[in-house]
Amino acid sequence: MATAQTSVNTAVPKRRLSERKRDNLFAYLFISPFFVIFGIFGLYPILFTIYLSFFKWDALNPMKYIGLQNYQFVLEDSIFWTSFSNTLLISVMGTIPQLIMALLIAIFLNSAFTKFKQTFRVLFFMPNITSIVAVTLVFSAIYSNNGMGNWLLDVFGLDAVAWNSGWWGVKIAIATMIMWRWTGYNMVIYLSGLQSIPTDLYEAARIDGAGRLQQMVHITLPLLKPFIIFTVMMSTIGSLQLFTEPYVFLGQSGTSSLRSEGITMVNYLYSEAFSNSFFGTAAATAVILLVFTIIFSMINMWASNKLGGDTEG
Amino acid sequence: MSKMKKSLMLLVAAIMVFTLAACSSSSNSGTNNEKGTNNSSTTTSKEGGSNNASGESVELSFWTLGNTNYEDLANQYMKDNPNVVIKIQNTGDQTAHHNNLTTALSAGSGAPDIFQLEIGFMERFLAAQDSFYNLNELGATDVKANFLDWKWAQASSVDGSFQIGLPTDIAPTVAYYRTDLLEKAGLPTDPAEFSALIDTWDKFATVAKQFTDTTGIPFVDSRDLIYNAVRDQAQGQIYFDKETGEFIGNTNPQVKKAYDFTIKGIQEGWVANFALWAADWTQATNDGGFAVLPGPAWMLGNVKSNGPDTSGLWRMAQLPEGSGNWGGSFLSIPKQAKHSEEAYAFIEWMTAQEQQLQTFTVSGLMPSTFALFEAPEFNEFTDEFLGGQASAAEFAKAAERVAPIYYGPLHDQTDSYIKEAIQNVQEKNADPQAEWDTAIEKIENLIKRS
Amino acid sequence: MKAKIGDQPSSFTTVFYYLFLGIGAIISVFPFYWMFVIASNERGAASHIPPIITIGNQFIDNFSRALEKTEFWTAFGNSVFVSTVVTSSVVVFCSLAGYAFAKYNFKYKNFLFFFVLGTLFVPQQLSVLPTYVIMAKLHWIDTYKALIVPAMVNAFGIFWMRQYISSSVHSELLEAGKIDGAGHFRIFRTIVLPIITPSIATLGIFTFLNTWNDFFWPLVVLKDKSHYTIQIALQQLFTTRDGLDFGMIMSATFMATLPLLIVFLLFSRWFIAGLTSGAVKS
Repeated sequence: MATAQTSVNTAVPKRRLSERKRDNLFAYLFISPFFVIFGIFGLYPILFTIYLSFFKWDALNPMKYIGLQNYQFVLEDSIFWTSFSNTLLISVMGTIPQLIMALLIAIFLNSAFTKFKQTFRVLFFMPNITSIVAVTLVFSAIYSNNGMGNWLLDVFGLDAVAWNSGWWGVKIAIATMIMWRWTGYNMVIYLSGLQSIPTDLYEAARIDGAGRLQQMVHITLPLLKPFIIFTVMMSTIGSLQLFTEPYVFLGQSGTSSLRSEGITMVNYLYSEAFSNSFFGTAAATAVILLVFTIIFSMINMWASNKLGGDTEG
Repeated sequence: MSKMKKSLMLLVAAIMVFTLAACSSSSNSGTNNEKGTNNSSTTTSKEGGSNNASGESVELSFWTLGNTNYEDLANQYMKDNPNVVIKIQNTGDQTAHHNNLTTALSAGSGAPDIFQLEIGFMERFLAAQDSFYNLNELGATDVKANFLDWKWAQASSVDGSFQIGLPTDIAPTVAYYRTDLLEKAGLPTDPAEFSALIDTWDKFATVAKQFTDTTGIPFVDSRDLIYNAVRDQAQGQIYFDKETGEFIGNTNPQVKKAYDFTIKGIQEGWVANFALWAADWTQATNDGGFAVLPGPAWMLGNVKSNGPDTSGLWRMAQLPEGSGNWGGSFLSIPKQAKHSEEAYAFIEWMTAQEQQLQTFTVSGLMPSTFALFEAPEFNEFTDEFLGGQASAAEFAKAAERVAPIYYGPLHDQTDSYIKEAIQNVQEKNADPQAEWDTAIEKIENLIKRS
Repeated sequence: MKAKIGDQPSSFTTVFYYLFLGIGAIISVFPFYWMFVIASNERGAASHIPPIITIGNQFIDNFSRALEKTEFWTAFGNSVFVSTVVTSSVVVFCSLAGYAFAKYNFKYKNFLFFFVLGTLFVPQQLSVLPTYVIMAKLHWIDTYKALIVPAMVNAFGIFWMRQYISSSVHSELLEAGKIDGAGHFRIFRTIVLPIITPSIATLGIFTFLNTWNDFFWPLVVLKDKSHYTIQIALQQLFTTRDGLDFGMIMSATFMATLPLLIVFLLFSRWFIAGLTSGAVKS
């Protein structure tokens, strides 16, 4: 330890190598807890799911090997493809506006001249901590056939919408629930990111005559890139795995959570497993979903990287 | 030196976390094997005292569902049988309750000695007979005659040789109706008269239309319940063939009849546009948004709590052409149970006539031992909410009009497709025939996977 | 604190900002408020049409009914314990791992990192069965270990810390520390940690929140009532057979949500602390 200092200037490859080795050792040490825990608790379920996808199983009787049949069932099932398109549509509707809003709100709340910052932060984060039950009750009331939603539409002279069964109605309802719940969450993430940008950058830019918008485009956005990538990634994964909101919203209003207007891929998976006891088909769905997630995540990562230049992501 | 110290600190921190976690779990109950004698369980069903691992004492774990008086009964049993200790675990969430059993059975450990099995989840467990004790081998054949035959059959294999559970409560369906609203339309309000007036579905439809035309209020509360009422009168089987398991929903006349009848009601305006359990349905119970609710025995509880201002205005009548059943449980013994004989002795006692009478008196659950239907405590039970009507007797009448029905493992999912079709017709003015065809197609797709 | 960014905006912009924030805040908080409204009114309030939006006086009544039906405070304590342990563990392990991925260069780094990310891609619903089997083999069913150990370090946290550290901790600082002879842990503690406190606060909040609200897994693995976490205890209040007593349910839910609010308020102070623009001229 003490000896390293004296030999820093001596270009001895051996020394550098052992320092390098020590670096590596610590790096592996730091990341090992994850892999240990994952190796025990995370790996087995994933391998099991993949294995299961080639069998027919109801969890109680012995497994029966059926090769790729489960995949065939799922890929030929029009309900699965409905759930796929629902998931995509609702995801886009629910996350793109949400992320933009979250970013805007975070920027506003980070501005020097905004008062009551703390209060606003708390208020915007509330949706994320409010219980799903309470939220669903409220939204079910709003979106019921005789609820506030249709009353509002009526005020503007528009027809009532079948929020619980209409093709767009269900999707809009669920998308708004998602936006409502997760905007504050992403706002918090962006706020953290904004905190990491040194203020003297802004000072320097202002002195150079840059306006607020220019500062945002040339300083804030590029430096926020790692965080934007983060939220885009997590939102992609989260929306592809969307389950709770449709499950509770559609289930709450007495309709089936499997309605073709609102069923998502994980709803499909869940019902295959826990309502029909088709665990094999559910596993195949999970694997297919995994593949989709990889594809979409890569696309989104690439897209976010392209946006805003060349800082380390 | 400081580097080592830091690593050490981290290690210590990690160890602390593990130890903390481990320490707090020392008072857990684990699997059936581990007897947590100093368990901080707050269920009151533990007898103070004889709980040590002496050779004689037997501990039974019992998973119950919902609001029952089973804890009290268990306490009673323990007093009379001091060598038996019963530990109860209760939840109100039906899906979780049954999924937990599935998980435990699948993993090969963690299942209780006695499990309260609800009829709605019966099928998947009937398909896994290897995981349960055949109660016929433990003595169930001796008590079979005490129970309603259709109820007994619900927990039997198709050929009757395997019995998965002993019947507890039943939930026959009746027609709850508002006397004040019927009066407005000039209809008779006395239960017997009203029952006679609607004793066939055709007559029911006529009365319904007449009522709605006169008062402008829908006759029936919801599409789901009226569909169920007609569907449940299918003779012996609904969507799947009892012998072969094949899908017969599209050819079973009763299913089409139920569908068409509901559609007719929607189109003629006498089926209200409420979704079951939704806020507006709840509200309508109190506001007089409908006249008739064809529901099971336990739904009276909902009517009472949803419509507190309407006490005394309701009565019960018999449904046309027979009754259905929605709900009810059984007591079963998973194969993982260590003490099957003691467990069986307990459940036989629990489901015996006397105890079922107690359950009825305390929790209002309808007994499945039909001898009770003669008992005076039963017959003379009246309900203020129903204007003093002898409700138990009425439920008993309904119970005797229920026919045994085979459901099949895919019943729920199949049913939900048809309900979805009906909802589309009601909420989106969809074409009934097209919706029916789509539903059948979905069901046939579903079956391919089974 | 923060220096002024630009001049004071025009009053139009100010109004616009506050309007936007204000409406957003009201929309955000309304369901929470409504939850309290139902919690403080009597039974039928939830389905009343037109909806009731004024606070009643039945909160204590409703809550005492909830207390009768469930072991509320026991479950509450259990949740506090589990959530705190998991949060502490996650913060420690994920920041170290994120730091390694962000600032160290080691063989297979990228592959390992994508592997970590990949674990997020798998939907959790099916993992229940195999994980239960593992727990059964370890005899951890119905123990807190089953809840805590699998959750001690997660991919979300690692990903998050890596992003934050890679963008906010400048390598020159670390180099400077190395030259001064500081060991790896020391560098982390004295250089990195002060910079990343906002991200730790964020991770802490999210982890606590997720663990507190986790319902699915505890439901499967906990059996005895005295071990229940708060979300499971709340589920006990949902029996449709009697009709849902929303006043009681909401009062219990409200009380169960308060700790989250408190944790958020506590942790969010850390957002403000920590960063000065001093250390590096970029």
